[in-house]
Amino acid sequence: MNQGGGNTQTVPPLDPNSIENRYGVNGSQVQISPYQYSTGSDGASWTTHKVDNQVVQNGNYSSSNYYHPQPTVATVPATGNVQETPNTASFSSSSTSGTANTSQDYSGYTPYQTSSDPPQNYSNTGYSSYYSGYQQQQPSQSSYPQPVGAYQNTGAPYQPISSFQNPGSYAGTPSYSGTYYNPADYQTTGGYQTTNYSNQTAGGYQNTNYSNQTPTTNQGNYTSNPYQNYTHDTTNSHSSTVAATTTPVHYQQNYQQWPDYYSQTEVPCAPGTEKLPAPSAVSQSFPVPGVTNEMPASNGQPVPSYAQPWRQETNLSQPPSQQPAAAVSASNDAYWMHQTQNQQAHYPVPPQNHYQSPLETKPLHKTPFQGHQRTTYPQEMNSQSSVHQAPLGYRQPTQTTPSVDTQRVSKVQIPTNPRIASNLPSGYTKMDKGSSAAGAIKTPAYVSVSMPKPKSHATAVPEPGTLPKSLCGFVERAFARCKDDKENASCQAALKKVIADARDDGTLHTRDWDTEPLSTVLNTDVTNTESSSTLISSLQNKSPTKRPKSRWEPLVEKPFVKAAPAFSSGVKFGGWNQQNQNNKKSFESFQKADAVTDSKPTYSWQNSAKKSFQRPVKRQRFSGGASNAIDDEASSDSDKDLTPSAMSFATSAEETKRRDSRSKRFEKVQGHSRRNEIPRPMNPNVGNLHSRRGTALRPGEDFDENGCRSVEDIDWNALTVKGTCQEIEKRYFRLTSAPDPSAVRPEDVLEKALLMVQDSQKNYLYKCDQLKSIRQDLTVQRIHNHLTVKVYETHARLALEAGDLPEYNQCLSQLKILYGEGIEGCSLEFAAYSLLYITLHSNNNRELLSSMSRLSKEAKKDEAVRHALSVRAAVTSGNYVMFFRLYKTAPNMNSFLMDLYVEKMRYKAVTVMSRSCRPTIPVSYLAYVLGFTDDMEVCSEWLKAHGASLIADSNGDMLLDTKASTTSLFMPEPEDAVAHGDKNLDVNDFFTRTS
Amino acid sequence: MAYVSMGEAHRRITEYLNRFCGAVSYQDSPMLCRLLSFSSNSPSLLSLADALNVFQDASSLIRQSDKFSEYGEILAHLFRSLQSYRVGNLVEAYLAFENFANAFVQEFRNWESAWALEALYVVCYEIRILAEKADKELTSNGKSPEKLKAAGSLLMKVFGVLADPYLVFFFLKLYGKGPKRVGALYVTCQLFKTYFKLGTVNLCRSVIRSIETARIFDYEEFPRRDKVTYMYYTGRLEVFNENFPAADTKLSYALQHCNPKRERNIRMILKYLIPVKLSLGIIPKDELLQKYNLHEYMNVVQALRKGDLRLLRHALQEHEDRFLRSGVYLVLEKLELQVYQRLMKKIYIIQKLSDPARAHQLKLEVIAKALRWLEIDMDLDEVECIMTILIYKNLVKGYLAHKSKVVVLSKQDPFPKLNGKPVGS
Repeated sequence: MNQGGGNTQTVPPLDPNSIENRYGVNGSQVQISPYQYSTGSDGASWTTHKVDNQVVQNGNYSSSNYYHPQPTVATVPATGNVQETPNTASFSSSSTSGTANTSQDYSGYTPYQTSSDPPQNYSNTGYSSYYSGYQQQQPSQSSYPQPVGAYQNTGAPYQPISSFQNPGSYAGTPSYSGTYYNPADYQTTGGYQTTNYSNQTAGGYQNTNYSNQTPTTNQGNYTSNPYQNYTHDTTNSHSSTVAATTTPVHYQQNYQQWPDYYSQTEVPCAPGTEKLPAPSAVSQSFPVPGVTNEMPASNGQPVPSYAQPWRQETNLSQPPSQQPAAAVSASNDAYWMHQTQNQQAHYPVPPQNHYQSPLETKPLHKTPFQGHQRTTYPQEMNSQSSVHQAPLGYRQPTQTTPSVDTQRVSKVQIPTNPRIASNLPSGYTKMDKGSSAAGAIKTPAYVSVSMPKPKSHATAVPEPGTLPKSLCGFVERAFARCKDDKENASCQAALKKVIADARDDGTLHTRDWDTEPLSTVLNTDVTNTESSSTLISSLQNKSPTKRPKSRWEPLVEKPFVKAAPAFSSGVKFGGWNQQNQNNKKSFESFQKADAVTDSKPTYSWQNSAKKSFQRPVKRQRFSGGASNAIDDEASSDSDKDLTPSAMSFATSAEETKRRDSRSKRFEKVQGHSRRNEIPRPMNPNVGNLHSRRGTALRPGEDFDENGCRSVEDIDWNALTVKGTCQEIEKRYFRLTSAPDPSAVRPEDVLEKALLMVQDSQKNYLYKCDQLKSIRQDLTVQRIHNHLTVKVYETHARLALEAGDLPEYNQCLSQLKILYGEGIEGCSLEFAAYSLLYITLHSNNNRELLSSMSRLSKEAKKDEAVRHALSVRAAVTSGNYVMFFRLYKTAPNMNSFLMDLYVEKMRYKAVTVMSRSCRPTIPVSYLAYVLGFTDDMEVCSEWLKAHGASLIADSNGDMLLDTKASTTSLFMPEPEDAVAHGDKNLDVNDFFTRTS
Repeated sequence: MAYVSMGEAHRRITEYLNRFCGAVSYQDSPMLCRLLSFSSNSPSLLSLADALNVFQDASSLIRQSDKFSEYGEILAHLFRSLQSYRVGNLVEAYLAFENFANAFVQEFRNWESAWALEALYVVCYEIRILAEKADKELTSNGKSPEKLKAAGSLLMKVFGVLADPYLVFFFLKLYGKGPKRVGALYVTCQLFKTYFKLGTVNLCRSVIRSIETARIFDYEEFPRRDKVTYMYYTGRLEVFNENFPAADTKLSYALQHCNPKRERNIRMILKYLIPVKLSLGIIPKDELLQKYNLHEYMNVVQALRKGDLRLLRHALQEHEDRFLRSGVYLVLEKLELQVYQRLMKKIYIIQKLSDPARAHQLKLEVIAKALRWLEIDMDLDEVECIMTILIYKNLVKGYLAHKSKVVVLSKQDPFPKLNGKPVGS
């Protein structure tokens, strides 16, 4: 695996996907540049321009880098992976940048958007995914210079996929890029995610991203941050002002422009043919291997050109990207280049969003946007080199339209589950154009609540803007009748159904809502609990997660329902489709990097569609549930990434496979719900996809169920075996099937085995393994006698000795049962252990009391028990002197249990003493009192490690300065702590066990 | 067992059936309660049980009439339980009663109003008592007692029925009367009793949570009797958690609102309230202890007054079993620190008498000597340890000079009073 950032980065042009990305960038860029221009005109005086310049330079620089490396790549037999790596890199970066944009945009923008957008609520993922999708989409368009209609057609079949992919695709990116590409990149994504959550400013975000890569960059970012922020703000304000001036009219203009764009796209594309336009310029500079020729060319072109516009943009919205570029070294530059491009691509997106929503209060971007489009040409020309100019014209048209579409669609899509896909078509056909994303944006349907409810989307209630006024009144009346939450909830459910029905049969706008009887909505609940509950449940079939919340928070929900996506306009739809395709592609590229070697990216996604199922499905499920899931994903990915670079590609691939299989387990459930969830008729294509998935999942499901059944039906009595194995040594293996008598040792052999273990000089792990296998053999043969007790006692003692509390607890609970059956053993010894364990580790007073009251008079006379009782007394009273005296005189293995508490007790003691004693305490005394066995060195080390302040007196004796220590004492993190909290799962132990 | 003729048996059974159906149809809750209350050992029930044992085919009698057969399932189980109960086969009786209770709860669920709430109480009570008896029988037979556990889950089911927000709402809306939820606290208290007996106190938490957080419950709406019981048990739980201020408020509430004539109940509350108050530095009067026969606390209180550590330890040892079982042992044990404080104060006062100028310096040696007089042998290290803890817990103000082995007391209020705050706060 080539991890060198430079190499991989240079490689990119080879991959068709990457090319596509760039294309997308181009398109976006065009938009952006105008945007900048407008802003520039307004705020020409901005200091940010400086930055821009620098950035520009960098961009150029980087671009050159970019080009140079390519030849090397060509010479080197690049594996599929390598080729793809660039892609992934670009993707990930793009996605991140996209998110950054969004976050910025939103923050500056409006509460509405964020709130209205389900995706935001859900997670960053949504955004990122759709951004990436957006980029990808553009390439596809470029590659296919076809009429919009044609696009739509192609897209249609893939809608379902896209719906899945949206959530998933993003997440997929980071992990893959991380594994295949380079850790830095990977982590970037991780950082990105977090940033999205916390930081809205792009600066913060980027810092996190790149921190891994180069510290210098980071610093640069940081320093620049405030500045960037500032610029960002200004842009926002600026835009807002513009918005004020602008009016819905503008919006409409834009809107109307779309068709124009489309036509434009068509025209330029057609003449050039897919491959022609871009390559001309690029091909010169880069001799790229055959198939992808055009692609790389196109790629190369965009890069330089973008850098410039991008920077200008950065001033506006994304400052961070600029700075990093400046600071980065050449190798980094290449990397950055990608990013910048991507970012640029993204950048245009937000404005589009605004633009899309006509109703919205914020047409901020709209106006600039429009201006841009006109200005685009000149700007690009300026910024870009002559080489690029040629392609520019062709690109421009393409980008704008698709991007807009995608955005809308994506927005709607992201939050929705796969179900949306099914719903979408219907919504599309039935809704009028008027109902647009704007509605969704406008309505304050945020709240985390919205997240678990894809249902609302599914029902696809038109947003208020498009709803007839009378219907709103109807809804209001209905809710006014509700007296409490419960009624609200049921009423709401009923309302949803009524509205959905009305929409389905097309009477939404024709029906007279003013005269509509409220009884249909209100009665259900009170009179007929059963029916209403079923109604709810039936509604919930579409979104099972929704229910619990809805009951108590119906009010929140209501607006949300209305906000439900109106992804109706044909244009959008087309965009959506395209996006889907793109998403798939991206997916594919990430997941199946190996497979993607296809020269034709456009087809690749089709192939990959199947593969991409699993992952998206899983993602979706999580994204529906909580954005946290994504974080988890990221973190787990990061774990992977953090593993030594030595980790081979193969292993990581294996890992991914395993993950996939793991995720399949969840799919089963998912599959169920999904099948239930598609009550509506849908596009045949959609259906096709669904059914395909269904069939794919079913076998596994059946298998699973069979498995469960078989386990439950096992007659354990029949499985009681009489062992015949004569081997004394046997490794523990958790049974996955009925025990084989030939592998089970009979009692006499087990006895020998126990002796063997007791006499063994090997380490605990070996002994534990052996004892577990002995225990297993005892269990399957149902042997409950002194031998069993002995085995468990032996194991419990060994576990204590090794500090293996989980294993010890297992043994102890078994021992309690065995003693309860009246089998002789060292019950008093273990009574003492359990007493100590409760006192020192479980800290449960009630348990302690009951176990104390269970002790018999004789038991209390036992030395071990008495010792345990006095330890308890010392601990409850905090008498450390007593504790450490008892520690030294502990019988049996009591001291091993106390061992685990010594640290706490010492810390407590030192805290108490430093609070109470003045002015000093000699360390020698502490060492004596705290059971350091007079070893002053160890004691003072320990004290230092816990933040105590030590001073030396005139004799050179160490003293504890109590006053200073009072505030400085702390409990250090245990050094041997492992992330998962179980030391026994430590990787080193694992190796010792397996080797 | 007195001989009962076949005809007499038939008459008694039909009479019972008639009464039962009458009670249900007229919603006569007290009558229904009487008909279900096994543990009252009422003569009529006993005679019915005799009759049932004679007249074996009671179920055919039930089936004869439409009126009876409507409640056929309930009655059949009830009769079987009564039969076994009378014969002394408590496990059988419990099992049959459990079936009966399930059927009854199902029926109760469907009744429109909560008229039968009292009867449900009786069922809940009876099932718990029967389960306890059955467990006793099981243990005496050397089998593992598990009926109380089963009763616990059944009570939980009843609680679910009563607390079902949907049902509560349903009845409130439809009939505007008799929400059954007020019964939830009674069932909760029965659950508490069950869980405390079983030692599965942690199971109480879920019930408490639903009682205290669910919106459908208005605490004031519950009957006072149940509120007192509830507060008593939750107060006990707080004692386990050593959350003394909370335990104080809850138990005090129970004490204030319980029936003052029920001395046994008051005593039960005081059993926990006194240790709680003691650990908050509030010492009860001897009269109180005497009045409610709480002699086990006498010496403890005395030790606290005098600063007599030996007395405290003796008292704890003497009643160890009792304190351990009631769960106040650890609480009382923690009083030791307050006894130490008292002892220090005594020493301080004595020193003040002899040498006021140096009174605020307590030599560890002196303290050790005082403890030796109490026949408690401690070396200086341990004394020092105790003193640091006292200072740390703010029972003594001052500092300990390690080098000179002297506790230097603060000139102002060297022994601050707890005044209702727990030690160490």
